[in-house]
Amino acid sequence: MSERVFRFRLNGTEVEGRAEPRRLLSDYLRDDLGLTGTHVGCEHGICGACTIHLNGRAVRSCLLFACQVDGAEVRTVEGLADARDPLSPLQEAFWEHHGLQCGFCTPGMLMTAAELLETNPDPTEGEIREAISGNLCRCTGYVFIVDAIRAAADKLGARGAERQ
Amino acid sequence: MKPASFEYVTARTVEEAVRALADSEGEGKCLAGGQSLVPLMNFRLARPPLLVDLGQVDELRQLRHDDDGSLVVGALVTHREVAGSPLIAERVPLLAEAAREVGHAAIRNRGTIGGSFAHADPVAELPCVGLTLDAEIVAAGPHRRRTIAAADFFQGPFTTALAADEVLVEIRFPASGAERSGWAFCELARRRGDLAVVGVAAQLERRGQRLSARIGLAGVAGRPVRAVAAEAGLSGATPDAASFRAAGEAVAASLAPPSDIHGSAALRRRVASVLTERALERAARRLEAA
Amino acid sequence: MTEQARPSFIGARVKRLEDPRLLRGHGRYVADVRLPGALEVAFVRSEMPHADITAVDAGAAREHPGVVRVLTGSDELVAGREIRGDWRGEIWQTSAQPALAGDRVRFVGQPIAAVVATSRYVAEDAASLVVADYRELQPLTSARASLSDGAPLLHEGWTRNFFRHSHFLGGDPDAAFAAADGVLELRTATQRQTGMPLETRGCVADYDVVSGSLTVWMTNQMPSVVRTSLADVLGVEENRVRVVAPDIGGGFGVKAYLYPEDVVVCLLAMELGRPVRWIEDRREHLLAAIHARQQEHRVQVAYRADGKVLAIRAEVLVDSGAFSVHPWTAGLEAGNALSLLPGPYTIGDYECDAYAVATNKSPFGPVRGVARPAAALSTERAMDQVARATGLDPIEVRRRNLIDARDCPYTTVTGNLIDSASFQEALDRLCEVADYPQLRRQQAEAREAGRLLGIGVACYAEQGASGIHEYLRRGMPTIFGYETALVRMDPSGKVLVEVTTHSHGQGHETTIAQVVATRLQVPLQDVRVVYGDTSRMPYGMGTFGSRSIVMAGGAASAAADKVRLKLEQFAAHLLEISADDLETVDGAVRAKGAPFRSIPISELARAAYHQPHRLPQGMQPLLEAVSTYDTERGTGTWTNACHLALVELDPGLGLLDVQKYVVVHDCGVIVNPTIVEGQLHGGIAHGIGGALLEELVYDEWGQPLSTTFMDYLLPSATEVPRIEAHHIETPSPFSATGSKGMGEGGAIAPGPVLAAALEDALRPLGEVVVTELPLTPERVLRYVDEARGAAADASGDR
Repeated sequence: MSERVFRFRLNGTEVEGRAEPRRLLSDYLRDDLGLTGTHVGCEHGICGACTIHLNGRAVRSCLLFACQVDGAEVRTVEGLADARDPLSPLQEAFWEHHGLQCGFCTPGMLMTAAELLETNPDPTEGEIREAISGNLCRCTGYVFIVDAIRAAADKLGARGAERQ
Repeated sequence: MKPASFEYVTARTVEEAVRALADSEGEGKCLAGGQSLVPLMNFRLARPPLLVDLGQVDELRQLRHDDDGSLVVGALVTHREVAGSPLIAERVPLLAEAAREVGHAAIRNRGTIGGSFAHADPVAELPCVGLTLDAEIVAAGPHRRRTIAAADFFQGPFTTALAADEVLVEIRFPASGAERSGWAFCELARRRGDLAVVGVAAQLERRGQRLSARIGLAGVAGRPVRAVAAEAGLSGATPDAASFRAAGEAVAASLAPPSDIHGSAALRRRVASVLTERALERAARRLEAA
Repeated sequence: MTEQARPSFIGARVKRLEDPRLLRGHGRYVADVRLPGALEVAFVRSEMPHADITAVDAGAAREHPGVVRVLTGSDELVAGREIRGDWRGEIWQTSAQPALAGDRVRFVGQPIAAVVATSRYVAEDAASLVVADYRELQPLTSARASLSDGAPLLHEGWTRNFFRHSHFLGGDPDAAFAAADGVLELRTATQRQTGMPLETRGCVADYDVVSGSLTVWMTNQMPSVVRTSLADVLGVEENRVRVVAPDIGGGFGVKAYLYPEDVVVCLLAMELGRPVRWIEDRREHLLAAIHARQQEHRVQVAYRADGKVLAIRAEVLVDSGAFSVHPWTAGLEAGNALSLLPGPYTIGDYECDAYAVATNKSPFGPVRGVARPAAALSTERAMDQVARATGLDPIEVRRRNLIDARDCPYTTVTGNLIDSASFQEALDRLCEVADYPQLRRQQAEAREAGRLLGIGVACYAEQGASGIHEYLRRGMPTIFGYETALVRMDPSGKVLVEVTTHSHGQGHETTIAQVVATRLQVPLQDVRVVYGDTSRMPYGMGTFGSRSIVMAGGAASAAADKVRLKLEQFAAHLLEISADDLETVDGAVRAKGAPFRSIPISELARAAYHQPHRLPQGMQPLLEAVSTYDTERGTGTWTNACHLALVELDPGLGLLDVQKYVVVHDCGVIVNPTIVEGQLHGGIAHGIGGALLEELVYDEWGQPLSTTFMDYLLPSATEVPRIEAHHIETPSPFSATGSKGMGEGGAIAPGPVLAAALEDALRPLGEVVVTELPLTPERVLRYVDEARGAAADASGDR
């Protein structure tokens, strides 16, 4: 099958991509672009490990073909904080609250949590649990992930308050 | 779990999409949010040689109400938008409530109402609501657009009345004409966000002193079904616990559900009855409050 | 100057040192290993549970563009490449799993061919073109069917369809049953479940034709052991095999084997002279990675009217699947169930027959908790039935049967040596922190209002850190028990630690650093812990069986002590005082009582490498030590815990809502409480999944039905409640740090706890005995009906 050419913004940078239509976005990001922070856990949209942002919304990259991102804005875990920059407040909160163990679900969990906090800056525990219920974690039992997201909300809220 | 090869075209208009489907001699498939189709392709349970991506067809994103009071939801309106739209909350709150039960946030961000209808999973929430509210499905083909009643649209598991060269354009929810109504969508899912084992959509409508009920069920047959006997039993009845219990019992008596690893036929029948009763109770509370 | 406290990192809630790279998405997992020119593999797997392969047509696959090699089971390359998991036991029948099945398949998912192509996409295209013809044989799909008369024998030379039969007799159960006030019988059952890490398996092999050396990146919890096993099966000299287990996305026991796929990938890389990569997909994982937990028990319990359990007789059937896995064998679950069924109780009279039965299902292996979820279900359900029969509170019955901590070290009837414990204290503490009386009042009030609340409790002792003696006793030839650490202080005084355990979530980079920094009195950030590469690390077992903090911590501690001792001897020489009069405190070696006479460690380190002329006579340069470690008696450690849950039952839908979950836990000296709590939470979530959701279903013809994540249901954040953990710290007398292994325990108790809670919730409807897990809506509603039926029968009697 002939390759498709597509252009999109990836973590703030313009990319011209090329892939056969069936190439999954998750494979394209990982194998073609080397952004291996996006993990593949089930390839049928259940586990959430491959969650990225497409035009600001959390989506499964295993359920998108790479050529579908033509004209879109894509953000991956690598876009949360540059390698030499400090961790983002959300990542910092996961670190402080032991919100990760093996680290495999973590990038998807972070991307889901980031979207939640962007749309609901002050979520209850129930809202956090509901929001991350599509991201499976086998290690943590979720307790400290919930704590981390709540702490990130506090941190971001305090930062917002300072600015005002 | 990688999909088989396919040709890919991006349509800009409904007409372009229809033409591409027609050119593929019925082998092409429309790609909307992809949340049901792409998993099937990754498992190679679906191997369409052509995908027609509808993502750029703006006409399909409409969400409006028509002069006759019906609500029109474009095929590409996402579950997230359905769940969060003030217009839908006002006009068809049952649909909004059901959409909140669909999958998880990331699935609702991509998944579309048109995709859900066209996929026609017998356990899916939104087709069940469509049937319950006598929605109409507008489909565009090479020669004309036609309107299909939900009752005719869902034909069996993953089977609809859409022809291979038709594109689902929009879904119309007619105004109920009721002065007051109460609604509820209740389901049994093994986990939050899972496909329902059984789902029940209920709407109680009051016109003058007269009460009527709509009850639709998912997960109890090869397609969504209406609980006709239960609806008839409630027509003109007093909305109380006894009548709701009777409706639940009528539902159980009318079903011959399938079995799978998430629920035997017996479980589905039993749970359909319980959920019907609960959905009617919740709908009645809302009717009271209206 | 007064005595300065020696800084300690033991017990500190240190943030994990491994986290920043993982949070940035910079972890390096096997699927992230990119080698130029790498080819990808897709396996063709049996669609039959039990059949003779009559033909495999790979012609079309070989012709497919992009395909480099199609390997089938009859190919010379795989001839004789078999995996065996042998046990040295009284009654044992072995099996040999071929790398690729050539003439017979024994479970759906067994690899029969491998396609190598330029990409996984193309490999899958071609794999779908491989056509196998089968002559079907009768599938054996349950342990009972396999043991029934006339069942076909699953392996050549077998007399009956079990890998292992063990009989145990301790004390005098006949006498105890004769003397009992009451006897009750239970039949418990747990279903097929598994570890299900979020990362699937993977193997990338790279063979250097010139040097004849093979490098293999694997998702493996035991890199040393698997290197030896690979060398054996491949016939490559072991000093030319390098196994790298990089970051791993969870193991839970599933990645502690040599799998046939690994062997095939290596053989292909060696033949083709190009890197070959296999990243398992989720469907393959559900079909062919090891399964666990499927057990049926028949248990008879003799008890006294005062609630004392006198004796247990048990029969254990484990549905162990088609092959014995390497190195853990097919017998471990059966053996553990037999050994641990008496639980943390003073039961002196015990008889058990345990069978590891072969069936046409995916092979069985140890997964987090290994048989203890099933054993604890039987033991704890028995305690609850004794409570009911004697009219005592379930807590009180346990109190009367738990081993008295003052009797530790305590040898159980099956010969397990419990090093130390706090059984009674933990139970008392649980009642206190959960406010048990208040929960009972809350339950009573809810019942008044027509709501069905239930409370369940379970206790367990978690065997961990099993060592040389324990594995010798168990008869497992490939499991040698010890762990090893290398501690190297470099000229700048920074420390590198290599351990033979593997960290895939457990936080060894942090906790082992806490141990070593404390022993060497250096800053925590000066210690770097690495693992997983056999070309650098010493030889040891790996991560499994709740052992790492004890075994790797012990080894690292011992190696660090050697380095510290050398620093002190060097300093003694330079300061011209006896080493006995020196101590190492906070970055310096100094004279006891005269701390101004001191030399910074960094200065000593530099001198030890760069100024060898300053070393004392006979002392070699370098600051490096290797130590192997085993616990004092090689019998390991025993953590103890009590769990309690409060649930509400929806009797209409058969759903259990876990509203409260409390655990009191004693794993000895805690190195990092946050990490211990994280392990507990994860284990409990795993156990809740096992109790409510997870089931690998096979139909009666041997076809697996749970082949997606829509069928095998892992608990999500909305099914796992907030978990409250409370600690007691009773040090182990046998471990170097006083710590005990604890990684698995959380998963043991939720089954019996939630079964008890359901039974308790149902009490207003009627009396039932809940004995089968998982508690799916289907099973729960069956219990609801049974309870109502029991109540109806009871009222009919009147």
